[in-house]
Amino acid sequence: MNRLTEFLLKIGKVDRRWIFIVLAVVVFIPIIKPIGMPIRATVTTKVVYDTIENLPPNSNVLVSIEYSPSTKPENHPMAISILRHLFKNDHKVFVTCLWPDGQFMAQDALKQVAEEEYGKIYGEDYVLLGFRPGGEAVIKGIVSNIRKLYTVDVNQTKIDEIPMMEGIYKFSDFAFLFTASAGFPGTVEWVQYASDPTGVPMSSGVTSIQVNEVMPYVQAGQMKGLLAGMPGAAEYEALIGQKGSATSGMDAQSIAHLVIVLFIILGNAAFFIERQRSRKY
Amino acid sequence: MSTTIILGAWIAVFLTLGIFSYLYKDNPFYKTAEHLFVGISAGYWTSLFFWTQIQPNLFGRLWPSSNYSSDSFWYMIYNGLGFFYSPGFPNGGVDKGHEIHNVVLGVPNVHYLIPFALGIMMLLSLIPKISWFARWGIAYTVGMAAGLRAYGFLNSNVIGQIKGTAASFSDPNLPFWSLTSPSIFNSIVILVGTITGLLYFYFSKEHKGVLGKISKVGIYFLMISFGASFGFAVMGRISLLIGRFVDLIKYSGSEYFNATLWILVAMIIILGYDAFKNRDKILPVSKDVA
Repeated sequence: MNRLTEFLLKIGKVDRRWIFIVLAVVVFIPIIKPIGMPIRATVTTKVVYDTIENLPPNSNVLVSIEYSPSTKPENHPMAISILRHLFKNDHKVFVTCLWPDGQFMAQDALKQVAEEEYGKIYGEDYVLLGFRPGGEAVIKGIVSNIRKLYTVDVNQTKIDEIPMMEGIYKFSDFAFLFTASAGFPGTVEWVQYASDPTGVPMSSGVTSIQVNEVMPYVQAGQMKGLLAGMPGAAEYEALIGQKGSATSGMDAQSIAHLVIVLFIILGNAAFFIERQRSRKY
Repeated sequence: MSTTIILGAWIAVFLTLGIFSYLYKDNPFYKTAEHLFVGISAGYWTSLFFWTQIQPNLFGRLWPSSNYSSDSFWYMIYNGLGFFYSPGFPNGGVDKGHEIHNVVLGVPNVHYLIPFALGIMMLLSLIPKISWFARWGIAYTVGMAAGLRAYGFLNSNVIGQIKGTAASFSDPNLPFWSLTSPSIFNSIVILVGTITGLLYFYFSKEHKGVLGKISKVGIYFLMISFGASFGFAVMGRISLLIGRFVDLIKYSGSEYFNATLWILVAMIIILGYDAFKNRDKILPVSKDVA
């Protein structure tokens, strides 16, 4: 028992750089040698899938990209999977960006999915309207008159000259909104200024750190489901049957979590032993 | 593979490992990566804001090509600006498909002079003597944001949340027990959590007796919420780490001339040599690392 106590006390005093190295190793190994842990869709992910699945054919869907390369591992697989699902079901996809870097993330995703995988035609099947600065003011602009805010698309083509923009004047002309979001402005603002006031259904894929903030909207029925971080993206990949980078990252994610939990337990044990000893003496 | 892609990979690897090297200690690799990130971000954002909003939506409305006249004083100013910077002020006005709502003294869409002036006022903060002008622009932005948010939060976070979570206990279809769907139990938890959590932040009365006990329940609810946030934060950070590792592994391949391995080895040698040279001056690890 004494040996164990001493060991725990030693662990509690270990240089944090050793912990970084251990974490790096446990993340690195499963990426090189995947285990293939099973992925099961949670309710919130399933709701997003069902909502898109139940959209009438040829629906106008607005996809808003609000993330940058810094959260690409979490958000990009979501955007790719959602685009795959939308194009597979032959919906019209309109893409806007509230983040400047989002424009390039959107270009990357559209090139991969719309052009290379599904051979969709720009201007007829999908359009990239691009980035506009202003945060919630941009959302308000899209809600009231999208043509006032976007007179040209990302290629500087006039909106009136894009065939699929015919009949699109305001947010309520869309059947559904999906946002891939990493912070402000993002999902919360879309709920507050677009979906709630107009009643247009929306779903979102967010970074893990945002889940707690956004989940109340899902529970209250203000949003149709949620893709929560990399696990949410992996679950969606499983639902559409096309594995991607999120699925391959889930082994490393799960093992890293186990190691972190272990460190938390050991750290707490060391803390309580030390506190007990200091009380004694 | 093109030289640009290979060079990009080497830069990406250097910047990634430079940032990671901070976990060892603050060092010049980290500083280089940090400064490059801040500088490039500022330049990139400024350029993008100009080309996506200021040029098409502001200049496009103030100097639309559809109203262009070389004799007009207003367009003479435009031509003058075009002399200095023709990509932003192309010949014959800006053609971005904007409608003309009014023309006052030869100025189309004259009301757009207000945001133009406010924007210039913001830039005046760079000149100390007249930096107070910037307050006008800031005041407008803050006022507008406050007004917008007051509405948004009231509608979605107060009314929307109450509407969404309020449940009728007399509803025969509402089950008593369910954790994943609406139930009487869930509604009670939300009600108790909300009230006790709010009472924890009620500071007009000392937290003793009944109020003390209720606020203690509120603390437990808050702790559970913070715990969930911490868990999700860890999950997010690990996801990002996985993303960087995937790229580092990709760039360690022979098609990228083993960028990861070379840069990693070089960094370890340089940092190791530095630690050896300064072994007498080694300071304890800063507590704010991690």
